[in-house]
Amino acid sequence: MVTKERVESVLSRVRPFMQADGGDIELLGVEGNSASVRLTGVCAGCPSAHMTLYLGVEMALREQMPEFETLRVR
Amino acid sequence: MTSPTLVASESVVVGRSVRMRAVFDFVRVIGSSESTVLVTGESGTGKEVTATLIHQGSRRRHRPFVAVSCALFSETLIESELFGHERGAFTGAIKDRPGRFEMADGGTLFLDDIDDVPLSMQVKLLRVLQNRTIERLGGTRTVPVNVRIIAGSKKDLQQMVAEGKFREDLFYRLNVLPLTLPPLRERIEDIPALIDHFIERYFRRKGEDVPPISEAVKHAFMRYRWPGNVRELENACERIAQICTCGTVRVGCVAASILLHADGPMPDLPTPAPAVAPPTVVDRVAAAPIAAADDTPISLDGRIRELEASLIGWALKVSHGNKSRAAELLQIKRSTLGDRINRCGLGHADAPEHEDRHLASAAIA
Repeated sequence: MVTKERVESVLSRVRPFMQADGGDIELLGVEGNSASVRLTGVCAGCPSAHMTLYLGVEMALREQMPEFETLRVR
Repeated sequence: MTSPTLVASESVVVGRSVRMRAVFDFVRVIGSSESTVLVTGESGTGKEVTATLIHQGSRRRHRPFVAVSCALFSETLIESELFGHERGAFTGAIKDRPGRFEMADGGTLFLDDIDDVPLSMQVKLLRVLQNRTIERLGGTRTVPVNVRIIAGSKKDLQQMVAEGKFREDLFYRLNVLPLTLPPLRERIEDIPALIDHFIERYFRRKGEDVPPISEAVKHAFMRYRWPGNVRELENACERIAQICTCGTVRVGCVAASILLHADGPMPDLPTPAPAVAPPTVVDRVAAAPIAAADDTPISLDGRIRELEASLIGWALKVSHGNKSRAAELLQIKRSTLGDRINRCGLGHADAPEHEDRHLASAAIA
């Protein structure tokens, strides 16, 4: 079951580092087995940051919740 | 594998930790020796680089340094690779070919992954090391070889001897000058210097200016456990150099797999205890770069501003955004605090629930 809490628990592992660098990753919502996040702050406009976070965080979410489908980065 | 290689000019070992200083001192001591060295260390700790250092420091430095991995070849091929073969020794042996021992003649032969050599081959190796002569496969001639042997092992050979997986006699033949390389997780204090070194190398290789590296990145790297050791860290830096476009290396360029697993202990940093109850952000900001303890320049003004920003952030948090109370905590005038908040660009600091974030970013950016 994909819940906000479980997605947050994965995001909270990368969040301290992003915040320390003047950014953040915000959970916009969970829809079914997918979730949407938004990058804010200094890395928000960086295509590399989108890709690194997208791939790594999505993989970690699937590790935690095998039923997890897609992570959308807005 | 190629022909005898000259020592790569980029082979440098970075580190000022106690563990690495001990390694450097030992390398210096054994430089003039001709004895066999056994370098033990996990994958990626720099066994081959260390072997080149030993070679460069020895009398053989103008002779070849030949490195060969004993794990690369199938059992039957190791022999031909090390000792060479004559034409017709086996199918496909269409011409005479010298082995690594002959190529390294007069110089140093680095036998890496010695722990992967099968038992049957260990006997032959032992005989060569004892007699200092080789015979090519399919040959009848006995060729004397003058090589200094450095062996590399990922595993503790003594343990393998106890388990019956490595010949005791060969172990003693190799273990004349044992040298152990520490895994990166045991020399965390070297990580900032290693990041600087590899980031510089890969940006220069691209012909670009070397960007500054945020403290958050260094912090994440210091809390990650690096199972692949320096090699893994080097790859992480190469990756950053390929994708970083914003002029500063920030966490957005770091593979999420590192960030997600950067949950090791907070780096053990010598923190000068502040008189006030220390907010964690102050600890991190104030202590981290000083603990880098290398010769990277540190802007005093910049650091003072960062410390100022984080202390103001702490005071505002503790006082729940009450600036008068925050000013008291910091023992400054209310009006002075207002000026300083503006100067630090902490305009939104009144909203208590967001303070940490704004202040942390202002402080570290």
